[in-house]
Amino acid sequence: MAIHIVVAIKQVPDTSNVRINPETGTLIREGVPSILNPYEVHALELAVRLKELHGGTVTVLTMGPPAAAEALRECVEQGADRGILISDRKFAAADTLATSYVLATAIQALDAELPVDLLLFGKQAIDGDTAQVGPGVATRMDVPVLSCAIKVERFDPVARTAVIHRRVARGIEVVNVRLPVLLTVEKEIAAVQRAPLANMLRAVNFQPELWSASAPVAFDPAQIGIKGSPTIVGAAHTPSLKKAGERVTANPGAPAEAVAAALAARPHGGGSCLDHHSGGTPGEAEVSPKIIVWGVCRSPYD
Amino acid sequence: MPDTLKFDAIVVGGGPSGLASAIIMARAGLKVVLFERGRFAGSKNLFGGVLYTSAIQEILPGFMAKNPPFERPVTEQGYWLLSPDSVVRMMHRSEQYKVEPAAAYTGLRARFDEWFARQAVAEGALVIAKTAVIDVLRDNRDRVIGVRTDRPDGDVYAPVTILSEGVNNLLTQKLGLAQGDLPPRLVALSVKEVIGLPQATIEQRFGLTGLKEGVAIDLFGDATLGLPGTAFLYSNKTSISIGVGMLLEMFVEHRLRPHEVLARFKAHPAIRPLLAGGESLEYGAHLIPEFGYDRMPKLYADGVMVAGDAAGMVDAMHREGTNLAMMAGKFAAEAAIEAHSSKDFSARHLQAYRDKLEASFVMKDLKQYRRMTDFLDGTPHFMKTYVDFVNDAAMRYFNAHDMPKRDMEKDIVRSLGKRRSFLGVAQDVMRLMRGMGL
Repeated sequence: MAIHIVVAIKQVPDTSNVRINPETGTLIREGVPSILNPYEVHALELAVRLKELHGGTVTVLTMGPPAAAEALRECVEQGADRGILISDRKFAAADTLATSYVLATAIQALDAELPVDLLLFGKQAIDGDTAQVGPGVATRMDVPVLSCAIKVERFDPVARTAVIHRRVARGIEVVNVRLPVLLTVEKEIAAVQRAPLANMLRAVNFQPELWSASAPVAFDPAQIGIKGSPTIVGAAHTPSLKKAGERVTANPGAPAEAVAAALAARPHGGGSCLDHHSGGTPGEAEVSPKIIVWGVCRSPYD
Repeated sequence: MPDTLKFDAIVVGGGPSGLASAIIMARAGLKVVLFERGRFAGSKNLFGGVLYTSAIQEILPGFMAKNPPFERPVTEQGYWLLSPDSVVRMMHRSEQYKVEPAAAYTGLRARFDEWFARQAVAEGALVIAKTAVIDVLRDNRDRVIGVRTDRPDGDVYAPVTILSEGVNNLLTQKLGLAQGDLPPRLVALSVKEVIGLPQATIEQRFGLTGLKEGVAIDLFGDATLGLPGTAFLYSNKTSISIGVGMLLEMFVEHRLRPHEVLARFKAHPAIRPLLAGGESLEYGAHLIPEFGYDRMPKLYADGVMVAGDAAGMVDAMHREGTNLAMMAGKFAAEAAIEAHSSKDFSARHLQAYRDKLEASFVMKDLKQYRRMTDFLDGTPHFMKTYVDFVNDAAMRYFNAHDMPKRDMEKDIVRSLGKRRSFLGVAQDVMRLMRGMGL
């Protein structure tokens, strides 16, 4: 039975290449290549694998500037059938609330055309790292959401169920879920395969379908772009590097004396830690205003 | 086989020769596919940094209207002869260089080739990046009928293929058109760094006024430890391209590490102040084919032609290569177009490609300097002897010594005699002239 999978993607600056202006705290985007958000590369790959198994259509959509067409082209190279670029100046400066409204509304329109069985999002975008858009879309569409998905154990479009593995803090959760479902995926969800040549030839002349703020779907002007975005960024800053603590070599038999001496020599702080510790994270010693010393004594197992 | 995998012509490689041939063939209405292994055309390409517009004009008449991503026009150029602590500069600057379009511009290949590829796409060629060609397909009569890419279901077919695969000409070798792997005596290794500096700093250091002026300097002597080889220093808009190249054999023989040779060159007292405060933006190395006219691969066979670096189309003497490659791409394209109109893709017919090359400056120049590598090989002391001598002579000439000028002149002649016997000098001059094809 043919399935319809929608993959939402984002074109992001390659943050492995990016630098931050130390004065303004903003990204220096000049000369930084734009790439398809890495988690979505794998989301798309999962979509293409499922399409190969069950037959059907993979639709990719993105909201972004015209240059994002390049990211959609990359998806067509990897096997997507259809690419939609939602692009309009009116969408500019959208936060995750406005973005999830636009994507949810667009997917509802696609669903009306051809019912959607599976919605795939990356776990998060490597530029904003919020991980909010996928769950936001699921909430608006009233479909179940499973975040941090790492494996599709079973996908049954006839019974309309799937078994999904997702990473949680204490291990892996295996969930039996009804379709349609929205997954935000980790990179393990599917290994990227080399696209066949025919895809490359097809993608070379690919032009995305362009959706504006008013057609073919009329988005609510109050919920898009800067108007629909209540988020205010107060300030951005680069976290400063932690300075290494100071090491004090102590006589294993009498660590306390060494600590006391070190503290006496430096009454106003400066983290100190013992050299003969057997655990803990002495590098994180923080002192002022309250003095905390990570001095771990020898354990009986040493 | 599906029609989508059938083309009129296949081009292997998105460099100057491949893109030039794709542009010319697509413009003539042929269905052309070009494969580039890098992320985009230009992403894996590297050169010193001077582009010549006469060849670009041949491929893209009126190219200046298409905003080519040049850095600076070359309005001053020449040679610097470096001894360990001195330099003799022979520079040429002229108002005539400032007429647009200039004859030469400095450039960066990642930008220029990408632009050149966009022109090929605009003409209708399919440029497929991220795809390497790993083999050539032949029929039972050994005619080339297509190529195999490194992608699943990756075979494509065309009656004619142009191999513009670059210096590492594996497919050319596979077809038996080139004999064996590249010998270290016939390839140079060049290492290059792009050093970022503010526009005003570059202009102040090189005596330039604005972006309409730029310098291209080739350096000899101490830059390569006196060994046969050259170094270069080109001004870009907000960076300097600096590099040094020698025959691969020299690095091996003298146990030199390329990056150390470049670091040593950058530390020369005449060079260091020009780079001071700069930020290293890019570092790269590339092989340069210096096969020479007599050792070029066979340039064509049934259904296939070889162009550009893959065929050794480099004039090391005049730091030319991209222009030779573009012209070769154009001639190969013309031969392919003619082959299509006569439906004859045999070697006999594609010989038109070689004929066009022979009739042009490409082969005439390569022929003239056919013995250059032999000269460098046979007189490895040449650079050191004469570059040091010239610096020494300049030192004597420009200083007051409280001695009669006649004696000073005799001293200069004697200082040459100390370096090399009269007979040796005569022999070197003879060899140089032979190397230059005089």
